Amino acid sequence: MKFDIIIAGVGGQGVVLASRLLATAAIDAGFHVATAETIGMAQREGSVTSHVRIGDDVCGSLIPHGKADLLIGLEPAEAARNILFLSKNGNMVVNEHAIMPSTQDCDEYDPEKILEFLKESCPQTITGDFTGLARSAGTYKAANVAMIAAAAGAGLLPFSDEYLWGVLEKMIPEKYREVNRRVFDKAIESVSGISEKSGKETNEDK
Amino acid sequence: MTGKRILMGNEAIAFGAMKAGLQIASGYPGTPSSEVMETIISHAKKYGIYAEWATNEKVALETAVGAAYSGANTIVTMKQVGLNVASDPLMSLSYIGIKGSLVILVSDDPGPHSSQTEQDTRAFGHFSNIPVLDPSTPQEAYDMTKLAFKLSHELETPVILRTTTRVSHGCEDVLIEDIEPVSKDIEGFVKDSRWIIFPKLTAQRHPLLEELQVKMSDRFSEYFDDNTFNSITKGSSKIGIAASGVSALYAKEAIKEHSDVFSFFKAGTAYPFPEKAALDFMEGLTDLIVVEELDPYMEEQFLQIAGKYHLNINIHGKKNGSFPVSGEYNVDVVVDSVNRALDNIGSQSIRLSHSVAAVKPEDIPSLPIRAPTLCAGCMHRTVFYAFKKAAAKMKKQSGIDSVFSGDIGCYTLGNARPLNMVDTCLCMGAGISIAAGLSHTPEFMQGKKAKQVAFIGDSTFFHSGIAAVVSAVYNNADITIAVLDNRTTAMTGHQPHPGIGLTAMGSPAKMIDIAEVLKSCGVGMVKTIEADDLQACMDIATEAMEFEGPSAVVFKGKCVAICKGTSQYVVDEDKCTNCKLCINQLGCPAIFSIAPGIPVIQDTCSGCGLCAQICPAGAIVLKEALQ
Repeated sequence: MKFDIIIAGVGGQGVVLASRLLATAAIDAGFHVATAETIGMAQREGSVTSHVRIGDDVCGSLIPHGKADLLIGLEPAEAARNILFLSKNGNMVVNEHAIMPSTQDCDEYDPEKILEFLKESCPQTITGDFTGLARSAGTYKAANVAMIAAAAGAGLLPFSDEYLWGVLEKMIPEKYREVNRRVFDKAIESVSGISEKSGKETNEDK
Repeated sequence: MTGKRILMGNEAIAFGAMKAGLQIASGYPGTPSSEVMETIISHAKKYGIYAEWATNEKVALETAVGAAYSGANTIVTMKQVGLNVASDPLMSLSYIGIKGSLVILVSDDPGPHSSQTEQDTRAFGHFSNIPVLDPSTPQEAYDMTKLAFKLSHELETPVILRTTTRVSHGCEDVLIEDIEPVSKDIEGFVKDSRWIIFPKLTAQRHPLLEELQVKMSDRFSEYFDDNTFNSITKGSSKIGIAASGVSALYAKEAIKEHSDVFSFFKAGTAYPFPEKAALDFMEGLTDLIVVEELDPYMEEQFLQIAGKYHLNINIHGKKNGSFPVSGEYNVDVVVDSVNRALDNIGSQSIRLSHSVAAVKPEDIPSLPIRAPTLCAGCMHRTVFYAFKKAAAKMKKQSGIDSVFSGDIGCYTLGNARPLNMVDTCLCMGAGISIAAGLSHTPEFMQGKKAKQVAFIGDSTFFHSGIAAVVSAVYNNADITIAVLDNRTTAMTGHQPHPGIGLTAMGSPAKMIDIAEVLKSCGVGMVKTIEADDLQACMDIATEAMEFEGPSAVVFKGKCVAICKGTSQYVVDEDKCTNCKLCINQLGCPAIFSIAPGIPVIQDTCSGCGLCAQICPAGAIVLKEALQ
């Protein structure tokens, strides 16, 4: 068994926490895991990518291009920046909420166009405003939790969402647990019956 | 409890050290090494360990050396450039040796991701005659840490445990064992001439030190017998692959489809190089492909052995152009490089292949550049902007240019657009000395004056800024020192330092006041100010820059990454004239606009109010004021 996940986002979005949650849940589910994370200077609003490799073999933590089974993009441009990692049979879950760069290049970034490209590249891509979903459940900061919950809810992980919640419960301080539970449930609900619903309808959940 | 836990490589090293009986730990934070000490610190009370953050790596190493002289089990942690700072004690220490045990954890950073250099600590081990262990996974890091303590004690030498970013900051399920509270029965310091380095002692010790290198090389060759950290597998062809550290895993994955073809040599003992085992491995091979990040260290070892024993073997690596000479490796880099080597060899039958990606690189639309930048609400932005304005005023009034020397920390990001406030950055503490050097140059350039400003953070000030201040005062350098004091070592994860009043283990400590230090060093003008009122900061910046001789301002504030703001600003659409000053001048990541719309302030605003202070229309207001 081998299952490779890329999580991409912008520093401050909780990419590192998302990869820890997935990795810990995978270990609880009985797998071997290796991860690589971006820690340090790039975390200051830069592009951040985590690699999570789940499976039986011990291997390097960096996923080769074309090998990722799942790409979780916390931001559209960051998903596109990492799309070469995605295997031709891979899946994607992408946050529609864009983060505009602070310096003057904003005019050149059209998130709608990038989302269109992502959906063309991978027709089974699930998109939704997971930041909006998290905000409406109590905190925009839990978009990372919403997205991994959505991946679990859509059956895109090699373990069930109970393992994921089990880890969240242990890792998240008590005062934030309730809001994260709401985000978690809402995200899973947003992808239930994903084949009937389009990504846009997921958006309306907020 | 013995069992598997998900651990970062750095955490695994800390657990390995505690399992090995660690008693005293010191270090200076630096990405990607910092979590080793942080993990030790968080367990120190439980197991009875003493742990501290030192002011710099030289001090940290010397502190650990003192403890090890008395028989304690010690570790000292730093990043690769920190070892440069610690190199003075390190070079002498190999002659003297130690009594208890001393493991020097040094993290290298291929890429680099968060460092000034791509230096290779394996080469430092070679240079200083200190053994180097090179783990490839967090599990190996745990196991090798225990081995490092054992070797250090037995051979009475410090041992370097060298990691790279992917081992330091990679997480894995690691099998760890029960940790006992530390023993309290060390012998203590015993007076002996062996602890006093003198030319005569060095001359006596040097041949023994060289003998030890041979002894260790032989011992590391024996490690291949039990296949733990060093291993050799035989393949069907006459082509071998040699790798160490995390590169060994990339190589194994790259050749997965052809793994029975290549002989494979993996050495976790980087220095002294296991020459006997390497010679055995090379015999019968026509070609050897060496896979390693950073320096061609192993490649040179193999070339040396090939020359020494007149072996008829071709070595393929960085030196013959098969592999990139710099940058971080991964499976794809190794696939391309091994294929280049196979081309050189003239092998037609074997070819490594890449996986097929969902899209082609040329199909990806252009993406926004997202360079790292100062956080929304960071106090450094206010100080940089104040100096920018003060310098512009000085230029306008008296035609004097300003040069801004930066230093190492979050505030290096002051170089980003649109602030552009870092003109030089070299290494820890260099800003003040470089500014001093620049201040002595006008008389060699027809007296064309420039004002020299040096920015330095609080932790960096204690690390290596003070000696530079003393020198600048002694030599009357006309410089202005701006201390950016956010009361933490922010970039590396918010470690305490001597200006905070708390030790690493959380005990109250004497708080060393930076302004008082500057005064006692003889700096002519020393002022302290809270970095929240822009006009006040600009006025004090002007005053300091106009002062003849060394002047200093300590700007105090909070790091927004740990002290979250309580308010947020918004743009009053009725008042905004869409001049975009807030965006074009500050580069705050909380503000953006999509043409032709007016600026928008996002949720990440922490309420510093800098944008409101520069808005000419008064259109940026507190959220609650607008509602």
